[in-house]
Amino acid sequence: MAARKDFASYIDERPEDGVFQVSRDVYNDPEVLEAEYENIFERTWIFLCHDSFVSKPGDFYATHIGRQPVFVVRRADGKIDCFLNACGHRGALLVNRRVGNAQSFDCPYHGFCFDNAGKCISVRSKKTGWPDDFDIGHFDLTRIARIDSYRGLVFGSLSPDVPALEVHLGGATKLIDIWVAPAPHPLEIVKGFCIYTSNCNWKVMHENGPDAYHAPVVHRNFAETVAFRESRQKVEGVQRTERGRLTGRIESASYDLGNGHTAFWSQRLDPSVFPIHRQRDELAKRFTPAQLEWIIGRGRHMTIFPNLLLNELASTHLRTYRPLGPEKMETTIWCIAPVGEEPDLREARIRKFEDFFLPSGMATPDDVAICEAAQKASWAKAARASDMSRGSGNAFRIDGPDEAARALGFHPVASSSSWDHEITLQGVYRQWRKMMANPRAAE
Amino acid sequence: MIDLQLQAEVSDIVYREARLIDEQRWEEWIALYCEDAVFWVPAFRMDGSYTEDPKTELNMIYIDNRAGLEARIFRVNTEIALSSTPVPRTTHVVGGVLIDGDDGREVKAYASWQVVWTNDVRGQQVRAGSYAYRLRRADKGLAIAEKKILILDSTIDGYFDVYAI
Repeated sequence: MAARKDFASYIDERPEDGVFQVSRDVYNDPEVLEAEYENIFERTWIFLCHDSFVSKPGDFYATHIGRQPVFVVRRADGKIDCFLNACGHRGALLVNRRVGNAQSFDCPYHGFCFDNAGKCISVRSKKTGWPDDFDIGHFDLTRIARIDSYRGLVFGSLSPDVPALEVHLGGATKLIDIWVAPAPHPLEIVKGFCIYTSNCNWKVMHENGPDAYHAPVVHRNFAETVAFRESRQKVEGVQRTERGRLTGRIESASYDLGNGHTAFWSQRLDPSVFPIHRQRDELAKRFTPAQLEWIIGRGRHMTIFPNLLLNELASTHLRTYRPLGPEKMETTIWCIAPVGEEPDLREARIRKFEDFFLPSGMATPDDVAICEAAQKASWAKAARASDMSRGSGNAFRIDGPDEAARALGFHPVASSSSWDHEITLQGVYRQWRKMMANPRAAE
Repeated sequence: MIDLQLQAEVSDIVYREARLIDEQRWEEWIALYCEDAVFWVPAFRMDGSYTEDPKTELNMIYIDNRAGLEARIFRVNTEIALSSTPVPRTTHVVGGVLIDGDDGREVKAYASWQVVWTNDVRGQQVRAGSYAYRLRRADKGLAIAEKKILILDSTIDGYFDVYAI
């Protein structure tokens, strides 16, 4: 194996000088991406799907772990399983639809057949090509090394050498809990979804998620547009869109959750515009005041390294992404909502999702455009490296939990006093460095 | 029997809309729409079908009054929306205009479309699909009561807004 570049040197971290910079090479070097596939995407827990995608036996969902095609399936015995999406014979793509239900899978190339536990159950013209005692189990599908789920979020790993999923998620579990628990029933995915591709490195978009610093700049037009629209048409209650958070200074915080995971929250200026507010009396019986403040009072955002984003801001959403090349990526996005939600709340939730979070909406196109602009500037290698030092000084950042984190019972690596601080990105790149710097060093 | 007069009227508003968008004559464009007009771009479900119920399913765009369409143009005109600044140049090629029904009050019409979109940042993009119109008889001829736009691509490369479909 050829010697790899020293990827750890791409991060310049000197806390004593307040420096945290990331070389622009991480955004466009094909060798970096190759190493990311091997050392990140193929070595840790990767978000696969929501368990509702495979709710009934035989349901399947085709996706990727990094560059590797896989499919998740609900087996006849009710368990969720996941296989490399490649026929056990000559490796043609076995599952060619995104979703469906099947008791068995026929390979479209040579007709080999597999059950939904991955076993090869028939081979065409076996007798005329193999000895009588040949075991077709030889062609069984390759199962991924680990699969597990947390609160309906299904993750898989190609490497067996990963901690338990809950350990990997760490403090993020507490935030996922309050995302899921308030619903009287489990969450569901709203029908309809979107896939979009962007001309940028996957990390540019991954950075854009925890980066609330950009919102008042990139999305000021959204706030102004919604204000204009509300001046032109009568809207009430949950139909209204809160925009104060995009234009003014508000109470907020951000967290480096460890393992590359991040979170931030910002105070909702008017919680009554959010669907969950209607449940407040019922929730008050089930949750402590501190939990209730998190659930009702705060817009929340979280990223799970390396490929999941969850938030409850203008609407509720779940997003995953994967690299398609050093300078190309694919994003898949769903609106997620409580089962049995009242119709007016559901409709408002969907409308607000469409307003903001789609590449045909009034905010995401500008995120994509700025990410693509950042990608172009990643070739300005003679310029200073990408700076992520904001908010890391002692005046803003503390080791461990702040008061709000303590109240919910999670223990971040660090907390900072504003959602527009960059300690979240530092956490992302420390994890990136850790995983990239330690690949099969002895080989 | 084809009502040639009606066919000409329907074709005229469909073609005129395309031209007004391409020439970025936004106010004249939006004036073609009724106050309660629906501008609707369904999304795909994961099984490859289009969503059908805007109240319970996700859409790429669902606007149910003219103010919502005006807001889209307001946003473009802020000149701080990076994805629309400058506004990409477009050419709408609309064809196959067919009348699908007429209840006296409203005419239903179908057309297919292709839009070439270009800006200096992203270069050229081509999208295509179909339009289903509800055209309402008003004082000054037909006005758009609903435009439902199906897009062929289930994966969107980049982004688009109301003027690029």
